[in-house]
Amino acid sequence: MEDMRKSKHPIGGLADKLALPALTLGTVLTALAFLLAFTVASPVMGAKVNGVELIGDEMIGNQILLSQKIFYFHMPVAVTSMVVLAGTAFFAIRFLMTRDALYDLKAKICTELALVFVICTMITGDLWTRFEWGVWWTWEPRLTTYLILTLMVIAYFILRAAVDEPERRATFASVFSIIMFIDVPISFMITRLIPSSVHPVILRTDSGLSPDMLAPMLCALFGFSLISYGLYRFRTRTEIIGQRVDVLKEALDNKLGN
Amino acid sequence: MAVSVKKPSTFAQFKTLLIKDLQREFRTKDMLSSMAIYALLVLVVYGAALSQTGRQFDILQMSGGLLWALIVFTSLLGLNRSFSYEKEDGCLEGILLVPLDRSVVFLSKACSNLIFLLAVEVLILPLFFFFFLTTTTPAPTWPMMLLPLFVGTIGIAGIGTLLSTITVNTRGKDVMLAVLFIPLIFPLLFACVSATTVVVAGGDIEGIFRNSVLMAAGYDLVMVLLSWVLYDFVVSA
Repeated sequence: MEDMRKSKHPIGGLADKLALPALTLGTVLTALAFLLAFTVASPVMGAKVNGVELIGDEMIGNQILLSQKIFYFHMPVAVTSMVVLAGTAFFAIRFLMTRDALYDLKAKICTELALVFVICTMITGDLWTRFEWGVWWTWEPRLTTYLILTLMVIAYFILRAAVDEPERRATFASVFSIIMFIDVPISFMITRLIPSSVHPVILRTDSGLSPDMLAPMLCALFGFSLISYGLYRFRTRTEIIGQRVDVLKEALDNKLGN
Repeated sequence: MAVSVKKPSTFAQFKTLLIKDLQREFRTKDMLSSMAIYALLVLVVYGAALSQTGRQFDILQMSGGLLWALIVFTSLLGLNRSFSYEKEDGCLEGILLVPLDRSVVFLSKACSNLIFLLAVEVLILPLFFFFFLTTTTPAPTWPMMLLPLFVGTIGIAGIGTLLSTITVNTRGKDVMLAVLFIPLIFPLLFACVSATTVVVAGGDIEGIFRNSVLMAAGYDLVMVLLSWVLYDFVVSA
């Protein structure tokens, strides 16, 4: 038992102690962002409507679009998904350097989180294209690069499921997640590289967001980041504890067998 | 009696591995013939798919996309094959026993894949013209489409070699390669289709063609270098 506590993968350190506060604070901030988005943030006139246009079978003049509220969640989850994928790439590189299965576990957990955020981004983004641009889907550069990112995150798990040996699975998954990460900066930069794109550039110093709009967006951004950190720590901890239980069970079985 | 063995140079190793692949292919004609027949069949399917379009239908605008769809599916078939026969008789294990740098294995395999893909493209390009572009007149700039074709094929061969090494060790490897390969080459595909369409249908050669080819070449460079670096881990796993 004593050597278990001093095992290679310690739990309950400072990072684990911070997980619960981070998760709580993140939830509070996200809830606050939700409230602010609907109360404080000023309503936005239909962004793309000049004069009168037909949007979703309705003649719309310069109407206040409630769907603009999606923005306060869409952009933060998208940024969070990219940050989490950077974590995946980092742990994948660490795994290839050290061959320590813990890094592969962490990379897998990061990709799991990324999948959640990527799906949230796709859903909010699709609602946005439907109600703001009037189409369900358009092959616009940002949308396209993000779609292939989604496909690759899904492919990561298909790849993991298709390899049986743990060592080989970890290597293949790490290599694939490093190549997959190339698409993240491309997707991030594409609206800057191809200015004709419909998708606006948000992360810039002169974004033109008024403080009452900036506040909910930043709250959501920090909220989602903290939530992802908290979830990541909890998932890692659960997995490590699970592995310890397995080792203990095996030891117990051996004892009883003898 | 002293035995002196000279270590072969890296280039000699590369040449030996490449010639091994080429010789095998020229003896069996396994990969080339299956790729060529598959490509021909896809062209026939295109014929049925486009048969109901009107006489004024602008095939020129679509030809770039159709050609690249054909190349992607054909190369998927070839890449799947390129590693499965290495597995069959333990050939890969034999190569890995030789004290050589693993990146040489990658380079030789990528080069042989590139040669086979180019050979198939030499066959299917005239067929594509024969079936779809003889009814119209392509823009006079159409020979320039060979440049995006070449740049795109380099990327397909480079990324495909890494991915087919991964997928040959997985369950359901044929589907697995498509699942990994198609999202990864999408940016390359996008750039190559736009470059090809511009030179075939006519348009802004200076701007769109140059930018697209540069974009494709940049993506090639990043992906091939990364595949080269990561190949050691994959092939020894």
